[in-house]
Amino acid sequence: MTDTKQPDSKQDEAVDPNAPITGMDYFMKLEYHELICPVVREFADALMEKRLIGHKCPKCSLIYSPPRGYCPICTVQTTKADEIEMQTRGIVTNYTVVTPVQYYGQEETEPFAKVSLQLDGGGNLSLQDLPGVPVEQVRSGMRVEIVWAPDGERHVDDVTNRSWGSAEGAIRGWKPTGEPDADPSEYSDKVF
Amino acid sequence: MVNDIAIVGYAQSPSWRASELTEPQFLFPVISEAIERAGVERREIGFTCAGSCDYLSGQTFAFVMNLEAVGAWPPISESHVEMDGAWALYEAWVRLQHGDIDTALVFGSGKSSPGKPAEIYPLQMDPYTLTPLGADPVSLAALQARAMLDAGKITEREMAEIAARSRKSAIGNPYAQVSGDDDPEALLKEPYVTAPLRRHDLPPISDGACAIVLATADKAKALSKRPVWIRGIDHRIDIHQPGMRDLTESPSTRLAGKKAGVGDAKVDVAELSATFSHQEKLLCEELGLGDDVEINPSGGALAANPVMAVGLARFAEAARQIAEHGKHRVVAHATSGQALQQNLVAVLEGD
Ligand SMILES: [Zn+2]
Repeated sequence: MTDTKQPDSKQDEAVDPNAPITGMDYFMKLEYHELICPVVREFADALMEKRLIGHKCPKCSLIYSPPRGYCPICTVQTTKADEIEMQTRGIVTNYTVVTPVQYYGQEETEPFAKVSLQLDGGGNLSLQDLPGVPVEQVRSGMRVEIVWAPDGERHVDDVTNRSWGSAEGAIRGWKPTGEPDADPSEYSDKVF
Repeated sequence: MVNDIAIVGYAQSPSWRASELTEPQFLFPVISEAIERAGVERREIGFTCAGSCDYLSGQTFAFVMNLEAVGAWPPISESHVEMDGAWALYEAWVRLQHGDIDTALVFGSGKSSPGKPAEIYPLQMDPYTLTPLGADPVSLAALQARAMLDAGKITEREMAEIAARSRKSAIGNPYAQVSGDDDPEALLKEPYVTAPLRRHDLPPISDGACAIVLATADKAKALSKRPVWIRGIDHRIDIHQPGMRDLTESPSTRLAGKKAGVGDAKVDVAELSATFSHQEKLLCEELGLGDDVEINPSGGALAANPVMAVGLARFAEAARQIAEHGKHRVVAHATSGQALQQNLVAVLEGD
């Protein structure tokens, strides 16, 4: 959908209708409606049952969550037979603090952290939230456990082929367990 | 001095109106099949080049995700063109001329189903001067068809005949999306979509992928009993503004065809990216293809139009004519831009 208009003029300035147009604002947006692929649909269905699933590569044992339907390292396809349920506790391996710039459409106003997790027993999730944890306290090595959205409120509307494990409608985030931080040797080769 | 390069493997996905698979997911088996058919080890491939469009996917760096279907670890040497996979093939052909590697993988893929092509293409191709006019591909093709009709270069009946023949040819093609036995007379009774174009003059909206493996001469002879040689390949471009060129001609096709050597010997078959029915006649004229040349036995782009793969699929179909149907000399054509603005032409030959 597109929409064009002449540049906004300052309200207190009269517009000369005969002045040549030297530029124009041009607003555009594109809408995409993508079908959710079967393996991500299975991931979403499992989230509704408070289960985290992934596919374990039959060749290299790497775990992909959400499943992709293949292991890009080994170039083998993975199926339901390769599905595993993952634990809902883990270690923060890495994080990014985002300081929002107030561009058009930005809803965040305060700095926030997105963390990558290594789950106990294997598997990783990226783009996860630690709600209630001040950004200055977010650190690699933190031990955390999942906070599911409560029954009745849980939804997977935001889970798409592109959300890569971000599922705020089902996973409210992760909370520190209070246990001592993991030793870097437990995760230092898995930081991503 | 140009080194001989051959097509030694090819594969395509079906063409779907809307696939629920992601682009890497449906690319995955296509790339695997092309590599298997070539008989090379994945790790042997010296260069990989892809053609796709992030605008189409609506995802930044979507082309990087597509590499998951290739297997890019340990790191591989690869490149990407924001163009149809046919131009990825051209880049790989140039890369193979260096002589230091002997095989290359090329692929093209696209999902047109999630977005609205009429909105996406103008923004992708010219957001400045053409998008505000609403100059989408169908409108521009309609202007081109109108210009051809007015110049007496085609009739609506000829357009319907081209569409009917394409649909009929597609009946046996497992990769085609539109096929059927239609009477041109009946097609002409259908209403216009954008005059003078009726539904049959338009391509379907498609999701799909195509992959091809290329090899240098010695490697190709070792790999394949029936290598398909790329005897000539060239691409040319006309001026960007459709209002500044004669839409009833395609000088870029004419020149690319001449440079590729289309007219140097008899052509058996041509697979042309005629995305709209009238463009087939225009392309045939510019390439000097007469009535003795079989056009688009696959059904062509009117039967399946996976944007960014449709041009490369012409190479796959052209190669199939030689490797599987015993044809000797086949032309493959791909196009890009507005109303046949940019054109790539290749001549493929069997031994
Ligand atoms: Zn693996």
